[in-house]
Amino acid sequence: MTRDGDLWMSGRVRLARLAGQAIAVSDGVAATTGPAGRWLTIGSQHTVAGVLAVEDADGRVDIEMHLLVHWPPQVSLQQLAQQVRGRLRRSAGMAGLEERLGAVSVVFDDVLAETRGG
Amino acid sequence: MSEAEKTVRAASGAASSKQVDGRVPLESELGQTTIGESVVTRVAGLAAREVPGVHALGSGAARAIGSVTQRVGLGDLRTQGVSVESGEKEAAVDLTLVIDYGESIPRIADAVRSQVIKRVEGITGLAVMEVNITVNDLYFPGDDEPVEAPRVA
Repeated sequence: MTRDGDLWMSGRVRLARLAGQAIAVSDGVAATTGPAGRWLTIGSQHTVAGVLAVEDADGRVDIEMHLLVHWPPQVSLQQLAQQVRGRLRRSAGMAGLEERLGAVSVVFDDVLAETRGG
Repeated sequence: MSEAEKTVRAASGAASSKQVDGRVPLESELGQTTIGESVVTRVAGLAAREVPGVHALGSGAARAIGSVTQRVGLGDLRTQGVSVESGEKEAAVDLTLVIDYGESIPRIADAVRSQVIKRVEGITGLAVMEVNITVNDLYFPGDDEPVEAPRVA
């Protein structure tokens, strides 16, 4: 547990927030909560859209990020996934949470584009 | 093996390795990347629309229904006229096109095929084994204008 302002946050929610920040600073992608807000991490006072964070019995947290990609993407989806995943691993390391971070999955759910009629 | 046999084998391979839930997972040392089949479908549809001379995608009935469902927020132009079968490494794409009158259909079909292969392979990493194109209509300028009802004296 750690303090963020006046709030206590679990490692799970901290990692989810770092995942949300990694998505936010990555060009060409946005988080999606999916149908009925299915992909959310809800902490005591923090809600992170597009991120599922699941803690196992050993305290390791698996992260699943759900993304929308803007059309046309400038790099392949695998490269985008590696960029987001790399950012999360680096920021988890800087926050001293690298031991807690488990598998990081990236799921591309949709493409956003302006389309002409037809 | 003949080209036709290769195509059939490739297409059946793509279908047999299809993942459940319409998703294509890609394992790496750092984690799994999953590309939804709807993403592959949308990439193919958007790529086809990028080619000048392609007026629309979908059959006449699909477009008529699509225009209604889109107005009520249910339709999606990005997937209209596009069908994709994808596996772990391969994909096969079927497209139904409406082409602008006056354009060369073989030239447009070739351009669409190249663009779809370039986009799908570049963006998703899947090898596109085939792009089947059906041109089911031509668009004439003025087709969209409402027809005035004849006046009866």
